[in-house]
Amino acid sequence: MNKKYLVLIGLFLPLAVVLSGCAAGLTATAWPAMTADAKTAYLAGGPYVYAVNLQTGAQVWRFPASASSANPFYATPVLSPDGQLIVGGFDKKLYSLNPQTGASNWQFTNAHDRYFGGVLVANNMIYAPNADYNLYALDMKGQLQWTFEADQSIWGAPASDGTNIYFGTLGRKVYAVDAKTGKQVWMQVLDGAVLGSPLFGSANDLFVGTYGGTLYALNTADGKTLWSKPASSWIWAGPVSDGTNLYVGDANGKLIASLASGGSKLWEKNLNGAIVGSPCICGDKLVVGTEAGTVYFIDPSGKVLQTIPLSTTMKLYATPLAAGTLTLVAPSGGASTDPILLALDGAGATKWSFIPPK
Amino acid sequence: MWETIIVTPFTNVLLYIYKLIGGNFGVAIILFTILIRLITHPLMASQIKGSTKMQEMQNSKEWQDIQKKYKDDKEKLAQEQMKYYKEIGYNPMSSCLPSLIQIPLIFGLYQSIMRALAASPGQLLILTRTVYSFFHVGDLVPLNSRFLWMNLGQPERVYMFGYGIPVLAVIVAITTYVQSKVTMPASTNPNDQGAMMGKMMAVYMPLLLGYFALTFASGLSVYFIAGNLIGIAQYALLGKVNWRALLPGQKPVPALATRKK
Repeated sequence: MNKKYLVLIGLFLPLAVVLSGCAAGLTATAWPAMTADAKTAYLAGGPYVYAVNLQTGAQVWRFPASASSANPFYATPVLSPDGQLIVGGFDKKLYSLNPQTGASNWQFTNAHDRYFGGVLVANNMIYAPNADYNLYALDMKGQLQWTFEADQSIWGAPASDGTNIYFGTLGRKVYAVDAKTGKQVWMQVLDGAVLGSPLFGSANDLFVGTYGGTLYALNTADGKTLWSKPASSWIWAGPVSDGTNLYVGDANGKLIASLASGGSKLWEKNLNGAIVGSPCICGDKLVVGTEAGTVYFIDPSGKVLQTIPLSTTMKLYATPLAAGTLTLVAPSGGASTDPILLALDGAGATKWSFIPPK
Repeated sequence: MWETIIVTPFTNVLLYIYKLIGGNFGVAIILFTILIRLITHPLMASQIKGSTKMQEMQNSKEWQDIQKKYKDDKEKLAQEQMKYYKEIGYNPMSSCLPSLIQIPLIFGLYQSIMRALAASPGQLLILTRTVYSFFHVGDLVPLNSRFLWMNLGQPERVYMFGYGIPVLAVIVAITTYVQSKVTMPASTNPNDQGAMMGKMMAVYMPLLLGYFALTFASGLSVYFIAGNLIGIAQYALLGKVNWRALLPGQKPVPALATRKK
């Protein structure tokens, strides 16, 4: 080839690399999510879904065999009563895996966008929220039963009272749809996007936190607002409840406890960073992770029992999880040599940490 | 630094335009592209002027005589070229410096569009940190990402007979090719490296940008198309568009010869 052409190609290639680099930097991201049974934790943690032994912290299996960094897994994996592990990916596919081996049972490939939220398994059905604005209802073999098209992307897992399915959208709406037919029962407009999951309460009420910074209680019969309380900033994940009280965190690092009935504030606690995940009611205490990479153990009266800083580079966006006597936390944003799953004992000491093998 | 100076202000201006026009992100991208091009227009005009002068110079008899005379003595050739630049008052940086200054602005625009679209939880969290406090971020999210037939946060396809046709990627490739061809300065000098580079860019850039349009969110494609059309319009306003370059079999008309006629 002519030497001048080689020089020009040499000039062109760096340009292509720079442009590609910019584009690669646009790859969509999220953070890990997890579930567990008596023996194993299941973590959707980037390129793989990992099964990790709860006693030792050793990897049991990982899925898929060969990963693609462009198509990670960040939706919460869900164990079904009939022994499936169901998880959606950024590759627009919903997978049913064997929890013992990680082998694929079936795949649902009809969705047009990524799965950010975990599925709901109820009524012997799987309800899968997708960013393509659709809620897909499948039977337990992955066959599509109905599709409900909402106004916007659905990022959070749905909730159910056995009759209806409830979920929020980025379009600031909460929907109730009939669990059997997929027909809309009601729809309510709120003050901001609903990024997390609604919580079905014990008194036929539905609790929803919004990106507009409000905690709502809706009547499940008609969607009307029973009460609403402002937070100090946006609320990402949904609230949790111990039956009497509600606990929710906001972007300013405030952990707020309210009465589920009426929404009166009981106490609030300033933590050291934004609270993105839901608090975990882990045994007799609340466990909360912050963006500053700190795990807090707090008793139900609001007293901080323990503060456990992980590292300055790790962020805790994932909701912590109780697994037997352990509390699991899934940090993100660390180096490739940092753990992506840690098991803390009741005293807050690290029992094991899981660093994905190469 | 890059975030503070470029990406954050760009994203906020883009969101301000979006809010001002009532929530159409496609139109906001187009208006923001026009705004950036207007701001950088003096740089572009300076670049065009420099390129034209360079073409005229390279097509001149004096320049070509220097090339022939000192073709075996690179050092002497460089000295004579510099001497000639001084004689005719030409600054060799005048054609490339404006382009170099524009590159970071283009990258910044590109990143701010993707930042504002916030199509995943991680991106939304970053956007939350990017938006200035006087915007109430809860009011802005979600952006209305629907524009014409597109979801600006997703790669575009038009489905016909079960096949997804990437219409926008094709338009991006065509407009990039047209822009490269009609704005390329004519040269009759077979050793003109600038012209050779231009020819290569006319082939590779449509392929590269077409690939990006095929793969990435269609908001980026809207930006590419708007940028290409505005670029052609800017050249046309300065009287530098050569539509004949699109016709097959057209030989280049040297700038100097045109001037002499």
